[in-house]
Amino acid sequence: MQNNTRHFAAIGVLVVIFTFVIFWILDAVLKFPVAASVQAGPIDALIQGHLWVIAFLFSLVVVIMVYSLFLFRRREGDNEEGEYFHGNTTLEILWTVLPMIVVIAFGYWATTTLSEITQRQDNEVIVNAEGYQWGWNFSLPNSDAITQELVLPVDTPIRMDMTSKDVLHNFWVPEFRVKQDIVPGRTTYLRFTPTTEGEYTLICSELCGLNHTGMIATVRVVSQDEFAAFWNQDVQTASSK
Amino acid sequence: MSLFSLGLVRAIVGQILGMLTGMATTILIRVMLGLPAWAAEPAWTVGALFSIIGALWGVGALSDWAKWMKGEETPMHHGPPEGKPAWTRYFGVDYNHKVIGIQYTVWGIFLLLVGGTMALIFRTELAESGRQFLSLELYNNFIGMHGFIMIFAILLGIGGMANYLVPLMLGAEDMAFPRLNALGFWFNVPGSLLLLTSLFIGGWDAGWTAYPPLSARGPIGYQLFFLGVFAVGLSSIVGSLNLLVTILQMRPKGMSLFKMPIFCWAVFATSLIQLTATQLIGLSFLMVSTQRALGMGFFDPGPVGATLMTGLGDPILFQHLFWFYSHPAVYIFILPGLGIISELLPVFSRKPLFGYKWIALSSLAIAIVGFIVWGHHMFTSGYAPVLRYAFMYSTLLVAVPTGVKFFSWLGTLWGGKLTFETPMLFVLGAISVFLIGGLSGPILGTVPSDLPLHDTYFVVGHFHATMFGGFVFPFFAALYFWFPKVTGRMYNETLGKIHFAIMTPAFWVQTLGQMGVGVMGMRRRIADYDPTLGGGSIEAWHLAITIAGFLIGFGVLLMIWNFFQSAEVGVLAGDNPWRSRSPEWQIPSPIPEHSFASPLIVRGEPYDYGLPEPYVAFAAAGDD
Repeated sequence: MQNNTRHFAAIGVLVVIFTFVIFWILDAVLKFPVAASVQAGPIDALIQGHLWVIAFLFSLVVVIMVYSLFLFRRREGDNEEGEYFHGNTTLEILWTVLPMIVVIAFGYWATTTLSEITQRQDNEVIVNAEGYQWGWNFSLPNSDAITQELVLPVDTPIRMDMTSKDVLHNFWVPEFRVKQDIVPGRTTYLRFTPTTEGEYTLICSELCGLNHTGMIATVRVVSQDEFAAFWNQDVQTASSK
Repeated sequence: MSLFSLGLVRAIVGQILGMLTGMATTILIRVMLGLPAWAAEPAWTVGALFSIIGALWGVGALSDWAKWMKGEETPMHHGPPEGKPAWTRYFGVDYNHKVIGIQYTVWGIFLLLVGGTMALIFRTELAESGRQFLSLELYNNFIGMHGFIMIFAILLGIGGMANYLVPLMLGAEDMAFPRLNALGFWFNVPGSLLLLTSLFIGGWDAGWTAYPPLSARGPIGYQLFFLGVFAVGLSSIVGSLNLLVTILQMRPKGMSLFKMPIFCWAVFATSLIQLTATQLIGLSFLMVSTQRALGMGFFDPGPVGATLMTGLGDPILFQHLFWFYSHPAVYIFILPGLGIISELLPVFSRKPLFGYKWIALSSLAIAIVGFIVWGHHMFTSGYAPVLRYAFMYSTLLVAVPTGVKFFSWLGTLWGGKLTFETPMLFVLGAISVFLIGGLSGPILGTVPSDLPLHDTYFVVGHFHATMFGGFVFPFFAALYFWFPKVTGRMYNETLGKIHFAIMTPAFWVQTLGQMGVGVMGMRRRIADYDPTLGGGSIEAWHLAITIAGFLIGFGVLLMIWNFFQSAEVGVLAGDNPWRSRSPEWQIPSPIPEHSFASPLIVRGEPYDYGLPEPYVAFAAAGDD
């Protein structure tokens, strides 16, 4: 048993070291696009939280496994069987209950985040989007003008009201993080607040037929004045919904 | 011996005749109704339905029941068919579970190769950005086809393992219902042939999930695809019923459920899902099929301002029905593989399985929780927002029983006397790969972190890691492990280790690469991508994924070559080369027609390596 204590200590140290190494690798390798919406903040924080747990659990399992492979490999000329034990109820309960607590904690974290990023804002600008095979129409409520380019005001909460002419589509701007399917026969909504002026690409990420690959549109996030000038009218603000 | 004495040939001929009969029937009915005689969609649909029956009838899978209806006796025939070479039994209806197990396995590997080839074709297209040689139409066809052929291959693979091993592990003479067992296998032949031929009549271009409205308006290939899935689904249902009855009813005296080999528990949990969830994918595809053929508007929202008459269907309803099977289906795919891991680890560690009951019950827990998590595929679908919260918590719960398995495997390794023959290497590879798949799950399970990753290559990477870790690696481990039992000869160990050394790192590169490009913003199911993603590094990643894919393919071919060679020239393996305690290793290799010469007596526990008392012994002649 004393022997085991030494091994457990070594494993503990290795797991800690590897957790940091793996997290560093994950952080370096997983290149998310730059964040350009208010909602990206809490989402990216949750993702970071996940990456830490991934790094820890990966290290835990792999370190114990590889350590065992070296420690318990059969030596030349050794014909004995392994140690005889059937299990350990305390351990089993422990590794049932602890993960349960962790996942519920993550569920709670994600619940508050989800409520936060989908919350209605007071001064929302409503923009209509219509998806079709294979392109996009954008308009403002109470306006006949239709554009194929999505122009949005910076630092303003946006609510996209989206419909489809034909099949399922999806609204996704990677820099804004959030996405939402567009479903024929109903209107779906997506809320986000762009934070950085610039050009982005809107891509459909629900397979929609032959030219799904090409169903993209340019998104331009501009100053609020420029936005008003672009539509040449007062910006409609949502009062309800 | 004529070609027609091969059941497979009769099945294919029967399928073609059935197709023609169905088409003729459709034309006849249409003429009688005063409609134009030829309409492609109904003709192919009815033809496909008849073709399934034609194939079953042609091969003779139905003939015993037909004889019963006429009041004829059908004594159970044992051994190879009379007057034909012994190998022909593998190409026809045979009631021996060992033959059926081989049939399942070989047909599964065949489909694995077809589906893998398709993947390599579109991986080549994706190796660099820009469109090279695949048309958009073929590209969309291949991705869906790759998906469903692989699903068939996996179902056949687990069917092969379960049918071959479960009766042996229980010391049973055969499965509970041998005729149903044969029928269950033969459903797969017309089913997969329908799926493959759908490519030649227009294909189907909505991906393996076939979401309407897209799937309700595409080419006729959809109908063949739907009916192919229907046939394979029937195989799942009758096969799982058979396995459940076998496990519950055919255990020898003294083998309580908690004394079974652990693989039987995995099969039990899998069969529960297969028996109760498969109907839902059949239903969802049948509804799309009738929407196309008969104008039923289940999923058709109709034009804006639609009334009840013009259509008030809901596309999201399909997604609920589809995922109610297709999520539990991934547990169907992985549970037997995880069972193989638990089964082999004690043999190569030379010590008892750590926490047998916990592992057994965690399979059941995964099966049960698996039924209430389908909505996580629909986080972005636009269903009621409250469902996102509910499905988030239920989904996260899956991590708990899965974690129990991992920790119990580590407990099994601890204190063992480990040796690293090819099956053990594949088991360890499976754990490493399934770990990647498992750990990339919760980040997709919490809605906010799912939103940027949903429908990207991150999901593709996650999903392939669970399939390779949960099925492919354990399946290969099982093939290497039981190869000496099936053939009596040992596979080539060096080639096996080379296969492992090529495939495992290649798969790590593939799956981690897929997750990497997904994070950069690479969507699923696109034939071309923006080369500036990931700061311009995405192309190099895609090239690496493609090369890794080819290496995996090469490894698989190496394995198949190894098996063909070794079956001829391999060294004789003896009855129990692994010194396993399991019943099937206590009888001769290859196994005689009647597996057990005398009844099994259970003496000890299945994994008590280190104790002199065996798990099972055989009653002496004349003993009761």
